[in-house]
This record gives sequence, structure tokens and C-alpha cells, in this order.
Amino acid sequence: MVYLDNAATTPMSEEVLGRVNESLRDYFANSGTPYKIGLDAKGLIEKSTESIARYLKIPSTHRIIFTSGGTESNNLFIKGLCFPNKKTAFLGLEHPSISETLAYFSQFENEALSLLPFQREGRLDLTSLAKLKDNRIKLLCLSHVNNELGTVNDPLKIISALAKESPQTKLFLDGVQAIGKTGVDPEMWKGLAGYSMSGHKIQGPKGIGLLVYDSKLVLNPQMHGGKQQFGVRSGTLPLPLILGLKTAIKHAVAQTEQTQNHLQNLCRHLTQGLQAMQDRIPELDFNFNSLVGVDITRQSPGIVNFSFPPVEGEVVLHHLEAKNIFVGLGSACSAQSKEPSKILMGIGLSEEQARCSLRISFSLNNTIEEVDKFLEAFGEAYQRLYPTFLQKAGHR
Amino acid sequence: MTERKTVLIRYDEIGLKGRNRKYFEKCLLKNIKRALSRFDDIHYSSPRGRIFLDIPSSLAPECSVSLKAIPGVASFSIGVSMSTDFDAIAALGVQWIEPKLEPVESLKFCVKTRRSEKSFPKTSPEVNFEVGSRIMTALSPSGLIVNIKEAEYVLEIEIGRSETVVFDNRVPGLCGLPVGSSGNVLCLLSGGIDSPVSAFMMACRGCRVHFVFFDNQPFLGRGGYDKVLTLAKKINHFQTRGTLYVVPFEEMQGAIRDHCTEENRVVLYRRMMYRIAEEIANRHGYLALVNGESLGQVASQTLENLAAVSCVTPLSVFRPLIGMNKESIITRAKEIGTYDVSIEPQPDCCSVFMPKNPVTRSKIPFLERDEEKIPWEELRDNALAQMEVIKVDDLP
Repeated sequence: MVYLDNAATTPMSEEVLGRVNESLRDYFANSGTPYKIGLDAKGLIEKSTESIARYLKIPSTHRIIFTSGGTESNNLFIKGLCFPNKKTAFLGLEHPSISETLAYFSQFENEALSLLPFQREGRLDLTSLAKLKDNRIKLLCLSHVNNELGTVNDPLKIISALAKESPQTKLFLDGVQAIGKTGVDPEMWKGLAGYSMSGHKIQGPKGIGLLVYDSKLVLNPQMHGGKQQFGVRSGTLPLPLILGLKTAIKHAVAQTEQTQNHLQNLCRHLTQGLQAMQDRIPELDFNFNSLVGVDITRQSPGIVNFSFPPVEGEVVLHHLEAKNIFVGLGSACSAQSKEPSKILMGIGLSEEQARCSLRISFSLNNTIEEVDKFLEAFGEAYQRLYPTFLQKAGHR
Repeated sequence: MTERKTVLIRYDEIGLKGRNRKYFEKCLLKNIKRALSRFDDIHYSSPRGRIFLDIPSSLAPECSVSLKAIPGVASFSIGVSMSTDFDAIAALGVQWIEPKLEPVESLKFCVKTRRSEKSFPKTSPEVNFEVGSRIMTALSPSGLIVNIKEAEYVLEIEIGRSETVVFDNRVPGLCGLPVGSSGNVLCLLSGGIDSPVSAFMMACRGCRVHFVFFDNQPFLGRGGYDKVLTLAKKINHFQTRGTLYVVPFEEMQGAIRDHCTEENRVVLYRRMMYRIAEEIANRHGYLALVNGESLGQVASQTLENLAAVSCVTPLSVFRPLIGMNKESIITRAKEIGTYDVSIEPQPDCCSVFMPKNPVTRSKIPFLERDEEKIPWEELRDNALAQMEVIKVDDLP
């Protein structure tokens, strides 16, 4: 099997799997109970929290809240801070767990300010930040690394520009695709009101994520109950998942540099392979939607997104699947709609270009040989399908 | 508490049958036995007009769930068999009513008797009086009131030749005719909302429904296939022993797309599906085809198009939903538990195969001329040769 959809999810590493399995068996006690085994569980959670803070260099000014994953973290922070009437802004290229949360606000006559006209190469153009001051925006929500494109909003640059242009606007970053692929600069926490992460994108377990936020802020809880985690997120803490997440973060952070180098090699090999294929197959006319050959502060090397009209990405995906090669759609349809998502169209692609695209996303597990297998199968599938789609396009 | 209970099963239209009645009764009894075959301590009897099950009390809840899913059962009651001793019946009545009186000030009740044993020396109203008056003597001080027209609690007594059954509940069944009594049909299953409802409705008319699914995995992936497996299992729950035929349809669709008039494609695909379905039906002795069409619901479901499709086969084509609107179909789908599966997002036809403007009033001679352009008999036979046959009972 060749798995090239690591931005969707990753397999758990053996060490994480062992840690989760062992703790599922050994540490069943509720960490909220006052007897020995409960207190032991509580102690392990506290230790894990401290370790995570150490790995990610999170200062004591910020709180770590365990959630069920990125979507919950994004919902908890944005709704907890801004619902129903505080003004928000976003780039318009965020994951649905941000864009749909903000769309929900609009039912309460609180329309989020979209900075989409100011996107450049899938990133926020910092000259737009004055807009935030004019519109009295309380919170700006962005992806640290875009989930479909891999383009990077550099936290330090945004923080310093924000301090100048709109100091009253706080910054929230969705870091789900960033951890382990872009380094964590401890300086960024000073300017961050909130940051979200997910376990399963970094070889950790599914069902666990983090919200890191400035503890001076008051978040209204979205889940009420036994007042665990400062009352911000009630619910019995899943110790085995927390231990798995801690282990995954440890490795992701420790291997960041190695990962970056490896992913850059794979990324270069893939983009060069595609460009060479274009010379070989004259009818292949493709565009990179993610940035190619730029440095890591602008583009994560873990994601390559490209379009190849008139052949549809979803059909190529199934043809690759038949060869046991698994890739992502360049523009994933949302669960209820067959329309391409807003991200590719948001950077100016047509609906056809968005539909005719794939997203390749790497992890440290992938190899150059796997990229070669993909290139070969992609070329074959494209040539096989091209006449069919050309005819379709011709009919239109 | 009695250790054994009696289930009294009433059946629906079989009662109206003349000389064929025995056949339908046998069929229903066989289906009930099959549905309950996992329990060995059940005794069956079928005096005229009724089916009785003698079951251990502990099985009552599971039997009830199974009986609710058997077409042909009009209603059933779970009660107790006893001798026709008025004192004993009244004592049982008191035992059942007492707890119901506890939380209320008063309770309107009546006794209803039905005699299938006409030689019994007392008439039904006389039995009602004998039992009712004894119960009233015991419970009128606690608030029990006789009210025949607006009874909140009905104690029923059925006096038969061999036994008398006392009960206080009636659970509605699916009604209709027992599966198998009308023969076998083949339903074209798409994965959408409509066709599973059609299949269910035919099962309730006594048909054993088999299923055929036209699959195009290279273009659509395995999602549709998995979905149809789940749907077939859900419908099969009401009948057992259904077969699912999965026919690869990519080649046929490709040939039609490449060689026939674009606007006719959808009707041509359907004509080929019916020809393939007819062949499967002939091989296995299925007597009719069934589909989920509802007049005018989509472009392919106009009177002209329905006629253009039906005319390719001499088999009867049944469309149980033809006069239903979408909302009632959805309600039905929710009742039988197929709706949530059907709405899972899954492309049912790739856009490369769909015409831009599908014909709404197709002309048969034009369709026939199109079909001359492709070797459809050969493509049909190829598809049939590669067909997967799945016994739905064997699915995990």
C-alpha cells in the first residue's frame, strides 16, 4: 500500500499504539476520583500536560485543554470567546471547523469579516490588517498551515504586524497541519490567544486534540458537566489517549527537522516528476495550486496540490485506489455537498480546476519509491481517462 | 409470574383469502418459525384464523422485536394461556391492573371477549360481565371504573377450542402478505432513498425481493457498493433469503457514452440495466422487476422515459412509489431504517457519464438507432459473466 494522504490522517506509530494499549488496560480509573488509583491517573495527566508544554515550549501564561480533536478545539475557542456578538475575521481559506463556526455566528447577525480579497498565494497579505482595526475585530482566525494547500501563515510575522496595525485584535491559529512540519518558535505564544492541534495528524490516536489558550481569556464552556479542566471542557479525561498524544507530540517535535528535510526531498521529487511528465505527455496540462520551490515559511513541504483539467480528481483517485495507492482530493467535497470546497476556488481557481485536482500529503514514513509508484500510476490513469474527459469537455 | 407466555398472532389479508388461505397461513407460519429459529424452546400451533406461540417469558421482548418485522402479521398480543375459569381470569386481571391504578386516581377499563369456540356455554358479553364484575369487586374502591367506549385499559380474553388466552396488549405488525406467498422479484437498487422503500413495499406484498446493483467502481469507488450491501441487509431483515447481484457497468456505460447520442444516455443506461436485470430474472425464475421510480421526480422519470425503459423487457416492471411524493417516501425510509444509510454522501453517477441536458421525452426509434451503434448483447453478456452474486443472509 502506498499512503499519500497524511493530511487526512496518519497511522499511529508503534510506540503510540503500545502506550495507548497498555494504558487502556492498566489505567482505567477516573482521574476525578479521590482514591489512590484515581489520583495516580490524575498524576499521569498532569505529567503529560507538563511534558506537552515542554515539548511545544508553551509558557505558563497559556492553558492546555484536552479536546476530542481539532474541530472541537476550534469550536471551543471561537464560540467560547466570541459567541454571539464579538466581531471576528478570517481569511476565507480555513478548514470548515473554523469557517462553519463563523457562518453559524451569522445566524445571530454577526457576520465574520472575510479577508479573501487579500489572500496572496493562499496566505494572508499582511497589508490587509488595518482593516481589522477599522472594523473593530476582536479575533482573527487563521490556519497556521492550510489543510488543502499547505501554504503557511507565518505566526511571528502576523503577530508583529497585528501589534502595529490592530493591537486590539487577538489571533487564533489552527495548527492541526503544522505540528511536526513547521518548527514551533516559542516566541509565537506571546502573541497567540489560542492554538489548536489534533493527535491523529501526527501519528497519534484519533479522538484527542488540544486547545492552547491564553489563560487570561475567559472562555465560555461549550460542554457543561463535572467541571473538569477548569470548567472549560467538562468530561472525564481520556487518559490513554492523552498518553498517546503526549508520545506523538514528543516524536513529532523531536523529528521536525528530519521530517522537514525528508518531506522537502519527497516534495521536490514529486514536483519534478510531474513537470517531467508534462514534457512526456503533451496533453497533460497541469498547475500547482500549492507553492513550489519556496521556503518553508511560505509552504509546508508536506502538501502538494495540483490541478489537471479536464480529468476529474475523484476519478483519478479511484483509479489509483485500484492500484493500492491512496491520495487526497485537491478539493474535498464537504460531507453534504458535491460542490468543491471553497479553498481552491477561494484562491481563484475555476470550479473545473478545483474538481480536477489532487492533494498529495507526506509523512516521514513515505519513500522516494512510493512517489515513483504514484507518478507512474498517475500518468497511466491520466492518459487512460483523458480522451473520456476531453469528449465530455467538447460536448459542453 | 408465569414462566411461559402465549403470543397470539393475528394476520392481515390472509383472512380474506378463499381456498388459498391454507397456503398463505402455512407461508406465514414458516416465516415466523424462520425468524425465531434461533430459539429452541418455542412451540407453535395454528388453529383457524390465528397463530399461537408458546414461549418462555424471558423471550417475550425478543419475539416482539422479530414479529414486528414480519410482513403478513397484522398484530400480535403477548398474554397467558389458562383454563376458562372466571375466578382465575379475574385474579390475573386484578394482578395486572393493580399496579396501573397506583399512580392514578381512577382508570377506565373494560373486558373484551372473543369466542372462536362457539360451543362455549356463555356468550362473549356474558363472559365480559362475569370477569369484569369480579375485577370491579376487587378494584372499584381503588378507582377502577367500567367504561367500554373510552377504556384506558382493555383486558382481552380469547376463548379457543384448545385454550383460552388472556392479554392486555396489541402490538401492530407490518400487515400485508407473508413473504414468499407471491413469488420472487428483482429490485434495481441504487443506493438512493427510493429503491429500498420500493423493495420493502414489495416484500410486504408477499414477494421475496432480490436485488441488482449496477456498479462502476473505477469511476465511483467502493462507497456505493458498501452502501448497497448495507441497504440489501436492511431490507432482507424483513424477508431473509434475498440475493444481491452486483453487475460491473463501467464498460457498458463507457460504450454508450462514447458512441450514442449524449442526451439519450440516461435512458440508454436504464434500458441496458433492464435487459441485464431481465436476464438475471429469467435465469432464476423471478417474475417481475421492481424499481423506485416516482413519476416526474427527476428528468429520467417522465411517462415517455418510463415507457421507453419498460418496453425492453416482457417482464412486469413494478413501481410501488409511482404516485408517492418525496416526503412520504422519506418518512417510509425512516420507518424501515434505510434513510440514514441512503443519505450518506456518495456519487451515484460520475459526471463524465451524465449528459448536460438529458432527454425528458425520449423517442424509442431514436434510442434503438443509438443502440445499433454498440455491441450491447456482447457487453451485457460480459457484464453478466463478471457479476458478483451475494447471498444476503450470509453477509456479516
